[in-house]
Amino acid sequence: MTFAGRHVLSISDFARADILHVLASAGRLEREPRPDLLAGRLMATLFFEPSTRTRLSFEAAMHKLGGRVIGFSDVGSTSTKKGESLADTLRMVEQYADVIVIRHPRDGAARLASEVSRVPIINGGDGANQHPTQTFLDLYTIAKLFPRLVDGGEPLTIAFAGDLRYGRTVHSLLVALCHFGVRVLTVAPRGLEMPDTYLNHAFTAGIDVEPVPSLQEAVRRSDVLYMTRLQEERFPDPLEFGHIKASYRINAAMLAGAPAHLRILHPLPRVNEIAIDVDRTEHAHYFAQAGNGIVVRQALLGLVLGKM
Amino acid sequence: MKERDGSGAHKVRQVEAIASGTVIDHIPAAMTLKVVNLLAEVEDQVFVGINLRSSRVGRKGVVKIAGRELPERTVSSLALIAPQATISIIRDYEVIAKYQVPMPDVFADIARCDNPNCVTNHERWPTRMEVVLRDPLTVRCTYCERTFAANELSLI
Repeated sequence: MTFAGRHVLSISDFARADILHVLASAGRLEREPRPDLLAGRLMATLFFEPSTRTRLSFEAAMHKLGGRVIGFSDVGSTSTKKGESLADTLRMVEQYADVIVIRHPRDGAARLASEVSRVPIINGGDGANQHPTQTFLDLYTIAKLFPRLVDGGEPLTIAFAGDLRYGRTVHSLLVALCHFGVRVLTVAPRGLEMPDTYLNHAFTAGIDVEPVPSLQEAVRRSDVLYMTRLQEERFPDPLEFGHIKASYRINAAMLAGAPAHLRILHPLPRVNEIAIDVDRTEHAHYFAQAGNGIVVRQALLGLVLGKM
Repeated sequence: MKERDGSGAHKVRQVEAIASGTVIDHIPAAMTLKVVNLLAEVEDQVFVGINLRSSRVGRKGVVKIAGRELPERTVSSLALIAPQATISIIRDYEVIAKYQVPMPDVFADIARCDNPNCVTNHERWPTRMEVVLRDPLTVRCTYCERTFAANELSLI
């Protein structure tokens, strides 16, 4: 399987075999670091909106493979502010770099970039649409915790909790999990449930998605609990937000009845939805999850540059 | 204009006959002017009938473009707004070819994406809608990956 020259735009572009290849490549790099793999190669990071976490993770990944990095993370210092089109910015940067990571506030910006650029584009998040490297790192994390995700066996039960309507990470992860025969539980406030598009996708793939009434029930029945942040601006009534926020907050006491193997993931940053006292429990896995982002992004860089 | 039909009786045409060109019939009445916008060039001689009686679609529209035979590829964009329309190619007042609107796999730069945050609404870039379901016609924006009912979209 060759990934050389391939763009990484949307998890929907990747078949099961592609995903497994990325996860296996990340596993190899974790066991055997390759500090010179991308020596002499240059990665450009075009961050049209700030995202310190994603940018640092990509830059760390490139540096750990011996490559170099150029880029911007402040549109104010670029020609975009002078009215330059996205396509023209790409036509310029593709002359400089071997691979381009783009983050942009508009949905579909990465796909547009890929139609202009001769070098591979990696989508670091395009508006509310896609953030495929987050999905790969989520899958890598789950597969590392529970190898039966990819090896087969008793289906994993994965619960999604919080804002399932606007949270793009849960949409992409659900689409990807449809390749792996899992059971899905959802727990979301009224109005913020998983959109029908994704429920239909899961249904077509034969994946059972079951809404459950409480976080407690999700905790009791899951192997993985994937938490997301509730955003106050989604609630017109601040009082209602206060009540709902409280019922979507997990703390150490709530985990007393949890199965020992339950692991809690979160794309971060968390605000109030996971109490600090959860960090000390063996269930907390969100920081390890973020750490996996480095090796997964290393694998994607190595693959699209034809070095793995 | 009057002409004879096969039975010898007189039939009143609801829209002027054309000697040669293209007739688009059975357009949903409300979509008629959109069809004109989509297919007619500035120099074209165009005859339009709106809210005409039709046993098939109730009230229909007819558009006749004189002097130009539109190829199937051109009229495929009609599938977005008038999928039941029929196309007749006329030469010397005779219908020499008649076909249904072909359904393309992709509508390239025909409709605006309805997602206000889609990159195609902010950059000068052609839109691209892929057909995901034919009935009811449902399309997906290649860029923002959102899915829309075709009748929700506005034409470019």
